[in-house]
Amino acid sequence: MSSDQADSTEESDVRQEFSDSSDSSLVVSIARFRQDALAEAYRRHAGAVFGLAKRLLSDDARAEEIVQEVFLRLWNEPNRFDPDRGTLRSFLLANAHGRAVDLIRADVSRRRREEREALQTAGAGYDVAREVWDLTLASHVRTALDQLSGAERTAVELAYFGGLSYREVAKRLGEAEGTIKSRIRSGLKKLKVELSSSGVMIGSEGQ
Amino acid sequence: MSDSTDDTMGSDDVYELDELLGAYALDAVDDFDRDRVEDYLRINPRAAAEVQEHREVASMLAFTGMSAPEGVWSRIMDQIDAEAPDPGPELAKIFAFPPAPSSGSVTATIAVPQRTDRTQQRAPRSSWLLGAAAAIVLVVAGVAVVGARSSTVDDPIDVAYATAASAPDSLSAELVSESSSFRAAGVVDAGGQGFMDGADLPRLDADMTYQLWGVLSSTGDVVSIGILGDEPGLETFTVDGDVSALAITIERAPGVVSDGNPVGAYVGDLV
Repeated sequence: MSSDQADSTEESDVRQEFSDSSDSSLVVSIARFRQDALAEAYRRHAGAVFGLAKRLLSDDARAEEIVQEVFLRLWNEPNRFDPDRGTLRSFLLANAHGRAVDLIRADVSRRRREEREALQTAGAGYDVAREVWDLTLASHVRTALDQLSGAERTAVELAYFGGLSYREVAKRLGEAEGTIKSRIRSGLKKLKVELSSSGVMIGSEGQ
Repeated sequence: MSDSTDDTMGSDDVYELDELLGAYALDAVDDFDRDRVEDYLRINPRAAAEVQEHREVASMLAFTGMSAPEGVWSRIMDQIDAEAPDPGPELAKIFAFPPAPSSGSVTATIAVPQRTDRTQQRAPRSSWLLGAAAAIVLVVAGVAVVGARSSTVDDPIDVAYATAASAPDSLSAELVSESSSFRAAGVVDAGGQGFMDGADLPRLDADMTYQLWGVLSSTGDVVSIGILGDEPGLETFTVDGDVSALAITIERAPGVVSDGNPVGAYVGDLV
């Protein structure tokens, strides 16, 4: 076997090694300086992080910067992730969302964004097995969203995908602030119930 | 409401803060409200759990099925490599052990993380890792790490070590780095009393530690035996007789748990 073949086999073994690992195990390995573990976490979740950041910012370059920031932060501070408090995916997305909102609020002009993209199907190069699962998830999410009242859905979407504070949402919709924060909370609770009843695990570790 | 929070906050305050939890989870609060909610979360685990549930739901809304952006990964790697400090002391991945005089010997490995430091201000490892590590240690061995010791002829630990090392039914192992620059010696006597002399191992940064592992002869599993600290001396440990190899790794203090992919390449063959 040539050295190139041996290297290729070794890299393949590494990918296989981590492809079977849980997200928690990946973070343990990241904490132990395993770049290939970070690569696997990136493979699993960078698309979602990028998609969320792009949806908020409508700017590919800035969304890419957020992806970079989020995964570098995972590399530098892996201990910030606590698997007892949620999934790695939600942890990374919460980081990305917070950072994107910071950018939006720091640059008011960015609030004039395009219409938010609808949920998309998997893109090229996406892991096939994951794509199937994600498309199923997308279907469940759409069904769950349909269970919300129009007012709840609008409040949740403006807050989460619009990057607006509940006060800003209230102002935009001409509603009381207390009404909006209640709608956001009740909307999220309904979504949890719907997603749980459809078999989508909430709070469990994702691969 | 039965929350203990009620003891320190008015029910109106609690209600108002509870109503804010959804908005907070979506980053839809201003700085003033964020501070209030975060103070509240510190004293109310139920509210903290609710926020996490909201974030899990939000993570599902965020699904777009998009691919990871091209080029970003290489930029991440460039930055990681650029920030990487000098590697720590070189230690071998494979260690060879001369056979003990009469009863064979143990081979052991030392696997080294890719780098021995990442930043100068690393926070402590999450407690969930430590709890699991402790559990594993209890299963495998009663560990009594005594810390660095100065060598004196009459020190009972030194005497016991010398006795064990010369006993015909003891197993011994010499852990030698690939470049032969660093060595550590391990001995396990017939009763399962172990000694690890790591006095010649180079001192690590304060946020790193050496960790001792055992390879179970029955299953080949690698399990944590104990933490040797950043500057080992003569350390003692006990094993239950099933360990066929020893390994030392460098880990971020205060050590790690074996997680199914414990320390990289560990092969402990009897020779």
